[in-house]
Amino acid sequence: MKKGNRGWYILFTAPLLVIFTTVVIIPFLIGIYYSFFEWDGIAANPKVFVGLDNFIRLFDDARFLKSAWITTVFTILAVISVNIVGLTAALLVTSKLRVANVARTLVFMPYLIGGLILGYIWQFIFLDVFTLIGDITGLDGIFFNWLMDMDYALYAMVFVFTWQMAGYVMIIYIAGIQGVPNDVIEAAKIDGATGWQRFRKITFPLLMPAFTISLFLTLSSAFKIYDVNLSLTGGGPANATEMFAMNIYNEIFGYGNYGFGQAKAIIFFFVVAAITLTQVYVTKKREVEM
Amino acid sequence: MKLQKRTFGSLLLIALLLLLAACGGGTKDGGTATGKESTGGADKVDEATDQKITIFQSKVEISDQLEALAKEYTAETGVEVEVWGTTGDDYFQQLQIRLNSNQGPSIFSLQHVLEAEKLKSYVHDLSSEEYVSYIAPGMELKLEDKIVGVPYGVEGFGLVYNKDLVKPEDVADYASFVKTMEKFNAEGINGLGLAKDAYFLIGHISNYPFSIQPDHYAFIDKLTSGEVTMADTKEFQEFGDFMETIKNNTPSPLDVTYDKEIGDFAAGKSAMIHQGNWAFGMLSEFDFDFEVGMLPFPLLGNDKMAVGVGNNWAINGMKDEAEVQAANDFLNWMSTSEIGHRYIVEEFGFVPALTNVDAGELDPLSQDVLDASNKGQTIPWAQNYYPANIVPNDFTPVAQEFFLSKDMTGKEFIDKLDDAWKNAVK
Repeated sequence: MKKGNRGWYILFTAPLLVIFTTVVIIPFLIGIYYSFFEWDGIAANPKVFVGLDNFIRLFDDARFLKSAWITTVFTILAVISVNIVGLTAALLVTSKLRVANVARTLVFMPYLIGGLILGYIWQFIFLDVFTLIGDITGLDGIFFNWLMDMDYALYAMVFVFTWQMAGYVMIIYIAGIQGVPNDVIEAAKIDGATGWQRFRKITFPLLMPAFTISLFLTLSSAFKIYDVNLSLTGGGPANATEMFAMNIYNEIFGYGNYGFGQAKAIIFFFVVAAITLTQVYVTKKREVEM
Repeated sequence: MKLQKRTFGSLLLIALLLLLAACGGGTKDGGTATGKESTGGADKVDEATDQKITIFQSKVEISDQLEALAKEYTAETGVEVEVWGTTGDDYFQQLQIRLNSNQGPSIFSLQHVLEAEKLKSYVHDLSSEEYVSYIAPGMELKLEDKIVGVPYGVEGFGLVYNKDLVKPEDVADYASFVKTMEKFNAEGINGLGLAKDAYFLIGHISNYPFSIQPDHYAFIDKLTSGEVTMADTKEFQEFGDFMETIKNNTPSPLDVTYDKEIGDFAAGKSAMIHQGNWAFGMLSEFDFDFEVGMLPFPLLGNDKMAVGVGNNWAINGMKDEAEVQAANDFLNWMSTSEIGHRYIVEEFGFVPALTNVDAGELDPLSQDVLDASNKGQTIPWAQNYYPANIVPNDFTPVAQEFFLSKDMTGKEFIDKLDDAWKNAVK
């Protein structure tokens, strides 16, 4: 590094470090501290030190364990569907389709809409549009209000989440696909490889870095989902779609158990960290060098 | 290729700009807000007319009217009054968050003594204020002998009915209730409309089995300590039957918003709705050509109306002296001035809980509440002594499950309410 660059380096890094420390690191440490107390969240009321009790109690909390299970199911479904839709869209818009550019913009667009607004839009679609279509066409086995069915509400969440995220991972896949060297593809063409063979044997392995990033992003954001959850289903009906983050919010602000809720949040942090780190480790190993 | 790059580039640019705009807006708002907080104190001392108070309250139905009242107050006194909005259901959580971050309102609303107890370091003692002396006997919100809240008004809820479709004797007890519900079901009319929001779905209606107990305080204490269960209590057993009858004879309330509940009633699609006198505010916005009234919910032949104080105005005593004084002035003005009285009665549609307010011409629902109240034909609001937040947190999921599962019986419903209660007090 040249000497003159160091000043710039500090200038641009320092503010970020300060912000990161004040809004992430410090609250996180305070959160760990609170998780050892029983406290109702009102500044003037006493905090009682209970040691690790909060963490032990977690495993008796049926509602928390249920929300953990729901979150797991949601994450698996969401990761699969987001990546399939995203990759398919990426392949389509990098082919010589005439509407490729328009399609690219349109698929990406939902990502620009905030999760809350998105949830309310889809709530309207499920409640009014779906029931209307069901009434008119008579296909009320498919077109009914999914949000008021204890099983379908989760699928509705997966559907909306896919709609939101697919465009974003599409961009990553596009970058990956464009990074595949043309000469290799051309050589394969001359050797007589079919389109599917070229994808399977060349593009797919070379896309591994893009998979690492996309899977990490979808996995972590599906696990941490809150905004769409809140606006689309509010955790209902009958807590059937209460995900991890919402359960923690409800524990803290609904029941006023700050300490216990913090303990949940800490566990949540470690679970998300463990799962995403494992995934990155596994997919990284499969990446191939050109 | 070049073109693609450019489109992608501009797309990214737009995304970045949007992000920047969002962030920029946020910090700017935050900046001015905190700026006001910190300099506010100094300004107030210098110039009384620069005073500003904020009101945060949970009753969605009166938000618009309250804002109009605030404008009139500003026009008269020059004191700026800001009314903060909420959706109602998570009001107390929002209030707590704001208070904790020192950005609380000057005036807030409290539903009952449990909430006052929780915020006891914030509630300001109003006992020595003049306007407090006008509160109807027994209706003030008291915490440890100090008056900390002024009631909005007395309210009542029950079966709001269309007089063209329902006669009082149609819903006098369980047997006649069942017959009426089945009759309407056969005619394609919604016999009894509920709405999906926590209190309209289960909160209010769950009151009856508690309120018709000889001593509902004692009963709730026993329930909490586990000495009794709802499943073993006859009031709850019949309540389960009522709920089952409602479920089997009406469309699912889970697709119905508060607006739609009232709208359907006004359009004659529902014969009755379970609502309070506050519903008349919205009802009067619809065109309807029938008479309405309110009947008691006939659990075990109950013929008394559920009447209580739903909300109280309280002052945030943690604010600086000038702001507390300004908040006091506002409450005083609202409770004693002519404009204030007109708003309480006409615009808010409250049945006044202040002795200096002339109830005047009440709407038919409020009139029924006032009549019941005057005759002493009332049962209390047990919900004021429920464990905190039990309605949205524990009762609502159970009620949702009950209305979604076709084969869940009223008895199973009561068993689940028992579990919900245990969960809320554990």
